[in-house]
Amino acid sequence: MDFQIDAWRAWAPGLDSDEAWQAWSLNPVRVADGDTQPACEFLPAMQRRRLSRLARMTLHVAWPLCGESEQLPFVFASRHGETPRTYALLSDVADQQPLSPTQFGLSVHNAIAGQWSILRGQHGESVAIAGEADTFEHAMVEAAALLSTGAPAVLVVVAEEYPPEPYRDWIDDVPFSYALALRVRGIEADNSKQAGARWQLRLEPNRGDDAPAAWPHALQFVGALHQHNDTLVHTWKTRRWIWQRTP
Amino acid sequence: MNDLQQEITQLIIDTLNLEDVTVADIPPEQPLFGEGLGLDSVDALELALALQKRYDIRIASDSKDARQHFTTVASLAAFVQSQRDACAK
Repeated sequence: MDFQIDAWRAWAPGLDSDEAWQAWSLNPVRVADGDTQPACEFLPAMQRRRLSRLARMTLHVAWPLCGESEQLPFVFASRHGETPRTYALLSDVADQQPLSPTQFGLSVHNAIAGQWSILRGQHGESVAIAGEADTFEHAMVEAAALLSTGAPAVLVVVAEEYPPEPYRDWIDDVPFSYALALRVRGIEADNSKQAGARWQLRLEPNRGDDAPAAWPHALQFVGALHQHNDTLVHTWKTRRWIWQRTP
Repeated sequence: MNDLQQEITQLIIDTLNLEDVTVADIPPEQPLFGEGLGLDSVDALELALALQKRYDIRIASDSKDARQHFTTVASLAAFVQSQRDACAK
């Protein structure tokens, strides 16, 4: 799969500028999660009232990558989804409390893709996926599929939220909440004037014993974008994903 | 605005997560739904649940009166007051 990444934007608590991500990518550390979230002030307050933290993170990174009058297919990818919401709802069930209609209504994996579609007036395709630790790469496979059916560009968001305490023994691949949006398109025949980073993504069987990546794949990729690395290898179980910059 | 109206207005703001909105922004006679504050049917369900929890009252969802009760803060306050009065007897 060959991509051109026209634009990208990332957010994590305390990491909300190119400079901050640049510094993080030089010295990756686990940032404190806290409960900070993007303000999303581009939306009127009445439209923000049902946005969860993960929804705000998603909108914050995706918003500027889609033009006012543009229609772009949307890929939302999250391995774990909104674990704080799940935990809160299950706690209410356990306590035999009635469930909040709003919380219940939004407790599906494609809720954020739906909110994006409503708030941005997007009528096109959208997909919400959950994979394993290589959910990021599977999101790119979705994007490649959409591009191959003729979409001029695709918006991909990978977003994860730091899990509530009772889940932390099981969820070990979300060191802190983060979201990454990429605006990708295919490589055109005559694109010598195209700006942006070009990457090829390949999948091979993983026969070795490579250790899993130190950081979530999407964050590794943000690091590679900042550090101008040419190659990234992400292995997970039987899969070995190879990211390679192309000229 | 009486105390109960004020309390219900604050409950609306907190329950529905209305950022940047204060009690003074929602006059008791302002319609809550559609034109007016702009709440919708999901808000109505959420609000009904919050009122039931807070005031320990029952709101029949199929009641023809429910729509009436939910028109404004003033009508909600009158409804809550009438339920309280009924229980006090």
